Amino acid sequence: MPATDFQGSFGRTLLSFRRDQVDSTAGSSHHERSNMEVELDSFQRQVAEKFIDLNASGGENELLSLEWIGKLLDSFLCCQEEFRAIVFNHRSQISKSPMDRLISDYFERSIKALDVCNAIRDGIEQIRQWQKLSDIVISALDSNRPIGEGQLRRAKKALIDLAIGMLDEKDPSSATNLAHRNRSFGRMKDNHSHHRSIGHFRSLSWSVSRSWSASKQLQALANNLATPRPNDVAATNGLAVPVYTMTKNSCGLLKEIDRIEKSSRVMNELIDSIHFPLTDEKETEVKQRVEELVDVHEALKNGLDPFERKIREVFHRIVRSRTESLDCL
Amino acid sequence: MAENGEEKLLAVARHIAKTLGHNESMADDILQIFSNFDGRFSREKLAEGQAGEDGSGVAVLERALNSLDGQISRFVAADQPIWADPADSAAFLDTIDELVSITREWGPMASEKPVGVCLARADDMMQQAMFRIEEEFRSLMERGAESFGLNPQGDGAAMNNRFDSDEEDDYDRDFQNGDDIQIPVAQPLTDYDLIIDALPSATINDLHEMAKRMLAAGFGKACSHVYSACRREFLEESMTRLGLQKLSIEEVHKMPWQELEDEIDRWIKAANVALRILFPSERRLCDRVFFGFSSAADLSFMEVCRGSTIQLLNFADAIAIGSRSPERLFKVLDVFETMRDLMPEFESVFSDQFCSVLRNEAVTIWKRLGEAIRGIFMELENLIRRDPAKAAVPGGGLHPITRYVMNYLRAACRSRQTLEQVFEESNGVPSKDSTLLTVQMSWIMELLESNLEVKSKVYKDPALCAVFLMNNGRYIVQKVKDGDLGLLLGEDWIRKHNAKVRQYHLSYQRNSWNKMLGMLKVDNTAAGMNGLGKAMKEKLKQFNTQFDETCKTHSTWVVFDEQLKEELRISLARLLLPAYGNFIGRFQNLGDIGKNADRYIKYGVEDIEARINELFKGTTTARK
Repeated sequence: MPATDFQGSFGRTLLSFRRDQVDSTAGSSHHERSNMEVELDSFQRQVAEKFIDLNASGGENELLSLEWIGKLLDSFLCCQEEFRAIVFNHRSQISKSPMDRLISDYFERSIKALDVCNAIRDGIEQIRQWQKLSDIVISALDSNRPIGEGQLRRAKKALIDLAIGMLDEKDPSSATNLAHRNRSFGRMKDNHSHHRSIGHFRSLSWSVSRSWSASKQLQALANNLATPRPNDVAATNGLAVPVYTMTKNSCGLLKEIDRIEKSSRVMNELIDSIHFPLTDEKETEVKQRVEELVDVHEALKNGLDPFERKIREVFHRIVRSRTESLDCL
Repeated sequence: MAENGEEKLLAVARHIAKTLGHNESMADDILQIFSNFDGRFSREKLAEGQAGEDGSGVAVLERALNSLDGQISRFVAADQPIWADPADSAAFLDTIDELVSITREWGPMASEKPVGVCLARADDMMQQAMFRIEEEFRSLMERGAESFGLNPQGDGAAMNNRFDSDEEDDYDRDFQNGDDIQIPVAQPLTDYDLIIDALPSATINDLHEMAKRMLAAGFGKACSHVYSACRREFLEESMTRLGLQKLSIEEVHKMPWQELEDEIDRWIKAANVALRILFPSERRLCDRVFFGFSSAADLSFMEVCRGSTIQLLNFADAIAIGSRSPERLFKVLDVFETMRDLMPEFESVFSDQFCSVLRNEAVTIWKRLGEAIRGIFMELENLIRRDPAKAAVPGGGLHPITRYVMNYLRAACRSRQTLEQVFEESNGVPSKDSTLLTVQMSWIMELLESNLEVKSKVYKDPALCAVFLMNNGRYIVQKVKDGDLGLLLGEDWIRKHNAKVRQYHLSYQRNSWNKMLGMLKVDNTAAGMNGLGKAMKEKLKQFNTQFDETCKTHSTWVVFDEQLKEELRISLARLLLPAYGNFIGRFQNLGDIGKNADRYIKYGVEDIEARINELFKGTTTARK
């Protein structure tokens, strides 16, 4: 798994990175320098350890799950706190060159991270909308009653809406067509404006413009992060990872999203294959698929709210750290 | 005959089902197969016969369902919207009510097999009916909004039409009188005390009736979902029409300041319209559609407003996180004040549990704007502290930093109350005598003064150094005195700084004129008349040279303030003229030498006075 390699080697690089840098640092007194050295070494080690821990807990099935990303964010918050303390302890040096340049570069990057946090929040909202649709599917099919045509029709409708919703994130043009076909009911007289308003609606449901792309942002975030300062690297990349996994192409990478997508697709196909009267076999299969959907649904239901709070927390902490450091300058 | 034949056929079918089916459910399945096979074996017909046979309770239930099924199927299959015809929609609602009540009535007996089968069928029917009603609900919402002029071209005529057709409220007056009806919700900016009805009253009633059925049948979530999707679209379109763009924090930061200023102005309008008109209107609509279901109303309302609110808050947040460059203070204050003034609206419109997150976010971002303002002052401090002493201002005149800082602070103090609030917040504990802003302002003044002192060292001549400090000190006191800044810093501060300016004044005199004054002292101990005369002649020569030089130099120096200039001249005249008059008087009276005194006396007292009045005029070189 490439992601695993990345993290492993990243952690190791961080550990060795500091030592190369120490000798070239000049200026401060010997005593202070050694103090700082200890402090920075411990910071690097902590960051590295967090990565190794995360790596270990992210088994084949857990990686990129909501829970795992939650852990990742926790680790990030710890590193961020440490980083804050380091910046605070050495604030006298921050305003001197070349630290001032590095720090302002770091803040430049942290702005991008803030935008990514906001994009994740939008993403969470998007998932909530999908949740509502899968909720309809579940309530239509998940009962002890036999499955009738009415139930299937409602489920099918919700599944189509869900597919459109998820597809839209990948390819707006195809989604608009589908959406149009699907929602043509009662709108025959005004096709033109209807078409327009859907496209409009989709783009409006995001708090940033559609041309803004989280993945582009993440690339920019990590760009040219080769050397400057270990703290910078750690602090941004710590965030870059969850953020990257969450938002690449807006959807699909979060494990739960992937599961919803698969599960709903299978169910959709299954429903298409159903003819009445329903065979016992088919009915069992439907029930089974519904169970799967319920599983993801529950995981998301319980996980999304705390996750959103955590993302907000990350956002606020980045801002706070930024404000504090700016105050030191 | 044909009728009779069909009866027989049905009887046979029932018989077969009964014989082959080992249990009720199997028999039912067989009947289902028959009904699929041929129209003559419809479930209704098969059931009718059965009911006739045993006449039990289940048969009554079945008969009722048969009749409802027929009606629901007819409605569900209709090509035209059911709500196009009030009679149809009323009938459809009645059918659903009946279905709900039957299901409720028989619910407790669901464990009995035949009843269970019937209830499953009822559920299926309900799903079909709900499927349809959901579509009708959506279509009615969309058509309702459309008839209310959410047309892309912002067609004024359409707008007027819709208001003409609605007699209920008086808001149409406000809109129709507007010259530009392109943005209906943005019109009455002067009066925010206004609620708009986004849908016609009749439509709202219809929607309420539908929502009632959907909630009663357990389809509340679906109903709320459709509702919020439609209203959200409306609301977000309204925001776009208010000129609000969706910007990321980075985009806001990269925007040229002038553009951003316009964007902030638009934001302020949009925030006011949203919080004072749009959101309360949505709240009312929501409460009317979901009347009697407060939880569904609250949830739907939150779903409707969430996106727009976050968009508004994100922009304010981006401003708060943005550049701390001092010239931004005034716009950031505007944003801060807008948020502050809208806090009661945030509290009231988002008072329910679902909206608490939005409420809290608004408070957080408002506080952050306060932080940003404090940050800007910090940045101002840094700028003052680090402003380098480069080239000296010619003639010891006013330094640009003095002018900048004082005018900046004066302008800032126009928002004195807001700033007091901002600095009190930082302390956590509100202080009674608003000393925190005073402390902040005195601190900035102190920084400015020490920066000016450093800058004054650039002048080699201590007298010029004093003129420089006097000029800048005078400017500072003047700017403080006639504004809110004076109220903040207090009388004491002004008195102290006036005294400081006087000190510089004295320092100037001491450094340039005291020596000359010394020359005019008559030394009575000098030996004999001749000796005295010689000494005085010598002193007068020295004085003349010195006076010429000083006047030549000091006339190029600058005192910007006319009054100060006058004060300086008067005090110099008072200092110099008596001493000089006395000196030449004595000199002229010194016998022989006195007779030739006029050869040595270059200036009369009036000449000296005239020269003094030529001082501090500045020259072209000084203004360079």
